[in-house]
Amino acid sequence: MLRWIYRFLNSSIGRKALMASTGLLLIGFLIAHLAGNLSLYKGEGVFDEYAHFLGGLEILPLAEFLLALLFVAHITMAILTTLENRGARPVKYAVAASHGKKTVSSTTMFISGLVVLIFLGKHLWDFRLHKEAFEKAPAEVVQTALSNPLTAMVYILGAIALGFHLFHAFASAFQTLGVNHPKYTPALTWLGRVLAVILALGFASFPLIFWLSQGGAH
Amino acid sequence: MSAEKTMKLNLKIWRQKNADSNGSIEDFQLDGVSTDMSFLEMLDVLNEQLISAGREPIAFDHDCREGVCGCCGAVVNGQVHGPDEETTLCQLHMRRFHDGDTIQIEPWRSRAFPVIKDLIVDRTAFERIQQAGGFVSVSTGSAPDANTISIPTRDAEKAFDFAECIGCGGCVAACPNGAAMLFTAAKVAQLVTLPQGKLERSSRVLTMVERMDAEGFGDCTNHYECSAACPKGVPIEAIAVMNREYLRATFLSPEGA
Amino acid sequence: MSSNSPILDPKCPGGDIETRWDRHRFAMKQVNPANKRKFHIIVVGTGLAGGSAAASLAELGYRVTSLCIQDSPRRAHSIAAQGGINAAKNYPNDGDSVFRLFYDTIKGGDYRARESNVYRLAQVSNNIIDQATAQGVPFAREYGGHLANRSFGGAQVSRTFYARGATGQQLLLGAYAAMNRQIQAGRIDMRCRREMLELVVVDGVARGVIVRNLITGAYERYAGDAVLLCTGGYGNAFYLSTNAKNSNVTASWRAYKRGAFFANPCYTQIHPTCIPVSGDHQSKLTLMSESLRNDGRVWVPKAAEDKRPASQIPEEDRDYYLERRYPAFGNLVPRDVASRAAKERCDAGFGVGSSSMAVYLDFADAIDRDGEDAVRAKYGNLFHMYQKITDENPYESPMRIFPAVHYTMGGLWVDYNLESTIPGLFVLGEANFSDHGANRLGASALMQGLSDGYFVIPYTVCGHLAGRHLQPVTTQHEAFAEAESEARSQTEKLLAVGGSRSVDSFHRELGLTLWDDCGMARSEKGLKHAIGKIAELRAAFWNDVRVLGEEKDLNQSLEKAGRVADFLEFAEVLVKDALNRTESCGGHFRLESQTEEGEAKRDDENFSYAAAWEYQGTGQDAVLHKEPLAFEYVQLAQRSYK
Ligand SMILES: Cc1cc2nc3c(=O)[nH]c(=O)nc-3n(C[C@H](O)[C@H](O)[C@H](O)COP(=O)(O)OP(=O)(O)OC[C@H]3O[C@@H](n4cnc5c(N)ncnc54)[C@H](O)[C@@H]3O)c2cc1C
Ligand code: FES
Repeated sequence: MLRWIYRFLNSSIGRKALMASTGLLLIGFLIAHLAGNLSLYKGEGVFDEYAHFLGGLEILPLAEFLLALLFVAHITMAILTTLENRGARPVKYAVAASHGKKTVSSTTMFISGLVVLIFLGKHLWDFRLHKEAFEKAPAEVVQTALSNPLTAMVYILGAIALGFHLFHAFASAFQTLGVNHPKYTPALTWLGRVLAVILALGFASFPLIFWLSQGGAH
Repeated sequence: MSAEKTMKLNLKIWRQKNADSNGSIEDFQLDGVSTDMSFLEMLDVLNEQLISAGREPIAFDHDCREGVCGCCGAVVNGQVHGPDEETTLCQLHMRRFHDGDTIQIEPWRSRAFPVIKDLIVDRTAFERIQQAGGFVSVSTGSAPDANTISIPTRDAEKAFDFAECIGCGGCVAACPNGAAMLFTAAKVAQLVTLPQGKLERSSRVLTMVERMDAEGFGDCTNHYECSAACPKGVPIEAIAVMNREYLRATFLSPEGA
Repeated sequence: MSSNSPILDPKCPGGDIETRWDRHRFAMKQVNPANKRKFHIIVVGTGLAGGSAAASLAELGYRVTSLCIQDSPRRAHSIAAQGGINAAKNYPNDGDSVFRLFYDTIKGGDYRARESNVYRLAQVSNNIIDQATAQGVPFAREYGGHLANRSFGGAQVSRTFYARGATGQQLLLGAYAAMNRQIQAGRIDMRCRREMLELVVVDGVARGVIVRNLITGAYERYAGDAVLLCTGGYGNAFYLSTNAKNSNVTASWRAYKRGAFFANPCYTQIHPTCIPVSGDHQSKLTLMSESLRNDGRVWVPKAAEDKRPASQIPEEDRDYYLERRYPAFGNLVPRDVASRAAKERCDAGFGVGSSSMAVYLDFADAIDRDGEDAVRAKYGNLFHMYQKITDENPYESPMRIFPAVHYTMGGLWVDYNLESTIPGLFVLGEANFSDHGANRLGASALMQGLSDGYFVIPYTVCGHLAGRHLQPVTTQHEAFAEAESEARSQTEKLLAVGGSRSVDSFHRELGLTLWDDCGMARSEKGLKHAIGKIAELRAAFWNDVRVLGEEKDLNQSLEKAGRVADFLEFAEVLVKDALNRTESCGGHFRLESQTEEGEAKRDDENFSYAAAWEYQGTGQDAVLHKEPLAFEYVQLAQRSYK
C-alpha cells in the first residue's frame, strides 16, 4: 500500500518535488514572517502586541511542529540530492566552462542553504531557546540581540544567503513541480528574483537599522 | 564567406587506453589546419600525423558527420560540443578558432558513461532508459489509417521539438549534476504531447524515471545547462512536462499505486 | 562468360498484378504461432530495414538477435535521411494511386526494376504511414490536423510525407522504439558495436554469422535459422559520399564470397544537390535534401566564366537550365537527370564558386512569395546545416550545390521473397538490389526499407522456416570454426603488413578513381583504366598499409582497414558491371550511348536484365547471370521529362 510513497521518495523527481513544495511553503512562511516583523517599524508596542498574539495562539505548537517538519523535509531532500550529484561525476573536467545558463545562485544552492541553516540556528537561539527570550519584551529582545555587531553581521549574511537561495529557488520550484509555460515562466522567473531581493532586503533591514542606530550612537 | 586560412594549434586531448586504465591529458601540436575544416576533420588530420609517426590514432565516435546520428561529442575547452549553439561536434568548424589557440578536448564525464577509450564513452545507459518505456505499444499491422488521428499542427510541432533529440549524451555531460533528465524527458514529452502516446503515459514515465535513477545519473536542480548545450535545442520545457507527468502518474493514476 | 541463368528464379507469382502479393502470401507455408518461438533469426543492421524487421519478427514471437556497428541501433545511417517518404495515400486528392506510384517508380528507375516487387512496394506504402503515425512519428500536418505532403522529383503528384528535414530520423526512432519494446520483453537480444565479418553457411543454408566485438576485439559466433542482412549501401566505395562514415560493403561482400550473387553493382545514385567539396581534408559530403527543389530554382550564369557574385547577376543573365530543358518537370526532374545536367553545365565552363564545380540553388523567389518564416519552417534545419558548413547564409545568397554519390541501387540479388541465392539469407533495404532499377526516386528508399522490414519479411521468412526442414545447428559446428578462422586471418594479415601509408590514403585514392572513371559518366576507356588502377591499388594496399594498435582492443584503424580491403575487391566488380552495360540507363550514363541531344539512350533489346555476379574465387573473374525483366503493365518507353 505504501509502496508508492517509498518509490516516490526514492525517485529523483519525487525528492525534488518534495524539496520544491516544501520550499514554496517555506517562502510563504518567510513572507508572513517578514510582514509580521515589519510591525517593528510601526513602533515597539505594535510589535509586542503582534508577538503576544502569536504566542497566545493555541495552535502555535502544532504550527511550529509543521514548520519544523517543512525544514527537515526540505533539508533532508537537499542533502540526498547533493550527495547523489556529488557522486554523479567522479572525474571532473580539466577545464570548466559552460553554455552560460547556470548562475552563481543555481550553483551555490547547497552552500547558501547551509548558511541560511546556520543563521537559523542562531536565530532560534536568540529568540526562541535563549532564556532571556522569555523574560524581556519581544521588541527589547530584538534590540538587545541586534545591537551586538557580531549578531547583526550573522543576520545580514543570513539574509544575503537567503536572497541568493531564493533567486534561483522560486522559479526553479515551479519547473520542478511541472509548471512551465511560455506565457508564465518568464513572469515567474522575474517574480522569484524580485521576491528574493525584497525578502533579503527586508530581513537585512532590521539588523542594519539596529546596528547603525545603536552602533552609531555609541 | 570568410576566406580560407590555415593555423597552428596546441591540442590537449584526453587519452585513455581502455575502461580499466587511467587516462591523462596529452599535448599535440598541429600545423596547417584550414579554417574550412570541421572539428572532426581536424582530428582526422591529427590522426594521419600520428599514424605516420607510428603512434596510435585518437579514438572518437562519429558516423553521419552532419549532426543527426548523435555519435560524436566531446567537451571542447569546457564546453559540450564546443562553443556554438545548436551544433554538434561534427558540425563545429575550425573557423571558430584562431591561430595559436590551445584547445582542450575531453570525453563526456559521468558516472553512468564510463570511458571506453580516449574520447569514446559507453552510453548504453541511455538504451536501457528507452527500453524501459520509450515507445507506444503498437505492433506492426495494427495501426488505423493515419488520418483517423488528427493532431493540431501546434501539437505536432511541439512533439517534434522534443522528438529531435539525437541521444548524444551532451545534456548529461553539460549538466553540473550529470543528470539525464533532458534526454529522458524528451521522449516522455514527445509521446505525451501526441494522442498516440497518451494511453501509456503513466506507466511510461514511472518506469523510465526509475530506470534513469538506477543508472547512476545525477538529479536535476534546474541549471538549464543541458538545454543550452543541446545540439538540437530540445527545450527545457520537456523536463517540466516530465516532472508533471511523474507527479500525475504518482498521485492520480492507478499505475502510481 | 554470362548466361540467362536458371539459378535466378525470382519466384514472382504470375497473373493479375494487383493480387499477386495476396496470392503469394496465401500460397506460402506458415509457421504456427506456437512454433515461432522455436526459430531464431539473426538480423544484421538496425536501420529502417533491420530495425523494422527485428521488431516485427519479435512481435510475431520469433527469437531475434540484432547486430549493429554503432553503440545504439538508433544511430544507423537511416537516421540521416532528410526529405521524406512516399506513399500512395492520395490525401491531397491530386490523382495519386497505387498504380501511379508503381508506374512512377518503374519509369523513374528507367525500366530496370522488377514489376512485381515494385507493385507490392506501392501497395504496402500506405501501411507504412499508418504504422509510423501510430508509433508517434511526428509527421508534418496541415492546420486542420491532417497529414501534409510535399513533392519530390520524378512525380507530378504530392505524395511525400515528411517530418521537417529529419524524416529518416523520426522514422528510425519509430522503428527503434518498436525494437526497444521487444528488447524489454526479452524477445530481441540486441548487440551493439558488433561488426559482421563472415556469413556461416551449413549444408548450403545460411545459419549464422561471425562478428567482431568492436570494444574487446573478440570474435563471436551467432547461430540461427535465418540471417537477414540489412546492412545498407556501398556508396562509401567512392570515399566521398553522403553516407555515414561507417557505411560499408563488408557484410554484403563477405556474403557474396560465400555464394550470394551481387546484382547491378554499377547502379549508383549521384544526388544533384550536395554541398560541394571544399578542400583535400574533406571527409564526407553533406546532402541538401531533394525537397529543396520544391522551392529552390537551379541556375548558372548564361555566360561562361562569369565570376560576378550571384547577387550581381541580373535575371536576364541567368540560365535556369532545368526549367529550360525540362519544362514539364522543371526543377523536379529525377536525380539522374538533374545531376547530369549540372555536370554538363560545369564541364562546359558555366560552374560557379571558387572551384567552378557548383551550380546555384536559389530560394529568393520562394522567400519573396511566401516569406522567410515559411521557408524556415520547411527547411530550417537544412539551411542551418548549410550555413554551418559553408559559413554562408542561404536566406541571403543562393546555395552552391554539386552532385555527390548518395545511394546504391545495386546490391545483393534477391527474389520476390527477398531471399538471396543462398537459402536462408535474406537481404533487405538498401543492401538488396530489388526495387529501384537504375535510378531511385527521392523518398523511395525509406519506403522500401520499411516495406521490406515491416510488411514483407514477416511473411516471406515463413516460407523458408516452414518449408525447409532445418536441422538444429550450434556454434560448435565446424562451419563456424572455419568462418571464424577466415575472419581472424584477414584481421591478422592487416595488422601484419606494417607498411607506411594510412588506410584513409588508399580509400581516398580508390574513391577518386571511381568518381573519375565510374561516376556520373562512364566510357569503355575510362572503365578499363579504372580496372587496372584498382588492381594496382589493391596490391599497394596489401604491401604498404599501416594499421596500428592491437587486435584485441577497440581499434578504429583496423575496422576501417577491413572495410577498405573489401571496397578494393568490390570496386572491381562494380567497374566490370559498368563495363558490361554498354547502354545508358538511370544512374548509369555511358558516353557511347546517348541521343543527339545528349540524353541517356537505353538499349532495351540487349540490356533489359538485372546483372547478377557470382563469385568464383580469388583472382578469378566473376560470372555474370542475367535475370530478364519482363514488362507487362508498364510500357517501355524512352524516359522523357520534357
Ligand atoms: C543524407 C541522406 C539523406 C537521405 N534522404 C532520404 C530521403 O529523404 N528519403 C528516402 O527515401 N531516402 C533517403 N536516403 C536514403 C535512405 O536513407 C537509405 O537508403 C536507407 O535509410 C537505408 O536503410 P537501411 O536500413 O537499408 O540501411 P542503413 O540505415 O544504412 O543501416 C545499416 C545498418 O547496418 C549496420 N551494419 C552495416 N554493416 C554492418 C556489418 N558489417 N556488421 C554489422 N552491422 C552492420 C549498421 O550498423 C546499420 O545499423 C537518404 C540517404 C542519405 C545518405
Ligand atoms: S557524427 Fe553524427 S552527429 Fe556528429
